[in-house]
Amino acid sequence: MASFLATYDFLLVSMVLAAVLALTLYLPLMAGQLSVASPGFYALGGYIAAIMSTRIFPPGPGLYPVSLVLLEMVVAAVLSGALGLAVGVPALRLRGIFLALATIAFVQILGVVALNLQITGGAIGIFGIPQPFANPIQYMWLAVPLLLVSMLFVARLERTRTGRALIALREDELAAAAMGVNPTYHKVLAFTTSAVLAGAVGAVSAHFINTWNSRQGTFDTSVNLMAFVLVGGSRTFVGPVVGGLVLTALPEALRGIAGVGLLPGWLAEFLRDGRLIIFGVLIAVGTVFFPHGLITPGLLRRLGRWRARAR
Amino acid sequence: MNRTFLLQQVLNGLAIGSVYAIFALGYTLIFSVLRIINFTHGAIFTIGAYATYALTGSQFGINGLLAGATLPFALPFVLALLGGSVVAAVSGVIVERLAFRPLRARGADPLLTLVSSLGVAVALVNITQYLFGAEPYSYPDPLQGLPTAMNFGTAAAPVLVRTVQVVIFGVSMVMLVLLTYLMNATRTGKALRAVAEDMTTSSLLGIDTDRLVLLTFVISGFLGGVTGTLIGLSVGVAGPYFGIAFGLKGLAVIVLGGLGDVPGAVVGGLVIGLAEAFVPAQYIAYREAVPFALLFVVLLVRPQGLLGRAQVQKV
Repeated sequence: MASFLATYDFLLVSMVLAAVLALTLYLPLMAGQLSVASPGFYALGGYIAAIMSTRIFPPGPGLYPVSLVLLEMVVAAVLSGALGLAVGVPALRLRGIFLALATIAFVQILGVVALNLQITGGAIGIFGIPQPFANPIQYMWLAVPLLLVSMLFVARLERTRTGRALIALREDELAAAAMGVNPTYHKVLAFTTSAVLAGAVGAVSAHFINTWNSRQGTFDTSVNLMAFVLVGGSRTFVGPVVGGLVLTALPEALRGIAGVGLLPGWLAEFLRDGRLIIFGVLIAVGTVFFPHGLITPGLLRRLGRWRARAR
Repeated sequence: MNRTFLLQQVLNGLAIGSVYAIFALGYTLIFSVLRIINFTHGAIFTIGAYATYALTGSQFGINGLLAGATLPFALPFVLALLGGSVVAAVSGVIVERLAFRPLRARGADPLLTLVSSLGVAVALVNITQYLFGAEPYSYPDPLQGLPTAMNFGTAAAPVLVRTVQVVIFGVSMVMLVLLTYLMNATRTGKALRAVAEDMTTSSLLGIDTDRLVLLTFVISGFLGGVTGTLIGLSVGVAGPYFGIAFGLKGLAVIVLGGLGDVPGAVVGGLVIGLAEAFVPAQYIAYREAVPFALLFVVLLVRPQGLLGRAQVQKV
């Protein structure tokens, strides 16, 4: 167990953080809005943490205090939320493909700005972000509670009036509006909540990967998040979480399978080097055969019944 | 800003804008027929650029599976350009059959189709990288012997434009004329426009809509391939992911022109080309953000595009 944790420490933390990020894409999708803006807020959160920890609280000797990381997470969440509100109010009048395009543009613009500002370190970025933990696996103390809190939040949300309003908007915006659900208010709410969460994840990630630059939180991240949510499942919060965990581990798992030595050489080599090809094919095949993802509310209900019968 | 400098920037902007225009037409044609955004267009661009590179008889680098491979023959550049674009067109057809048709048969949500096409794009770009490696390539110079720049002004007040820019402008214009002819003066073009107007009705009127959808992908893929080669000629082929970045820029063009609007795509391309050319030198680093800033603003202010008419939402 200890050696497993030591070998895969980086991967395990990445999996948990990816699961939280997948939830940031799921939140607007609950209201039927495909927004890929959260990588932008993730990047912003990372920069805020990187700047605060290297410039405002210059690291002393020893480990960086965890309380300051928590403070950075709060600041990143608040500022991302504010930007989310400012972008969301005009942008969420758009729907469908137009919203997806606008949010792609948003991520691209943030990337170019980050590449050129002095405070973000330009093309080099910010490096040497101080470490609050001696060992990467200890980041689990931040990542796991963050995942649990956000899962609890979204699970509760699905059962409240607001959450049901979001789902009603996804199923039929016009009917929902006729029933007194304010579409813009609810969409902006979901979008801003997603921005808040993405900012907080960014703050943790910046410490975790020790360096932050304009290659973090780009269109690539958007594609990954879409894969997490659409392959995992887009109709219940369990889908994105499982999608984020499994698909982040998948490349390493494929590498492991390739390394066992039972497969013919060319196949092992393909599994090792062609991971992103498999990833792309999974997204395409998943959308054709499982339009709501692998984990659907129906599947969860069946699992629940099966467990009840087994008891 | 003096007059010759102004003129020079206008010519540069038009040259790059014309390439944006024919690239964006690839998106627009498919959107006008199927109401979907084909994200694989950027990957097709990459495939076209690599196929042309291979057909010129050039050698691939050391990183891919086909390290050091060359074709046993070498075509002159013009033929390689055509051949590379045909390869791109064939890839477009394969994408249609494998990724779009199954979704169409299921009547899938357009957003789902968008995501699926993204998946295919990621796969295609990474197959290219797997086979040919990630290093940048440049074509054997087809303009050897020609001066590197042409003077469109007088000897006293030179208006210099790179010869490559003139060539890509010329090729883009040829493509544009051919496409305009096809769309407006042939029976096939008429059928295409009918299918874009209303697929069900045109099918009832005896138009083979499936064949025309395929044709749309052929044309779109061909245009993508030509653009890949032209941009590769101008600034080099900067690795497989190059096409994805260019593909995103193309989205700005079609939104500016109005989704599915053919003349709009041309205007949008030229506007973005000119806007990029006129970014002041001290802000040149922000040039890459210009198309996306325009995209964002246009979506908020005029979502129907520059030339489009506002659509009334039907209930």
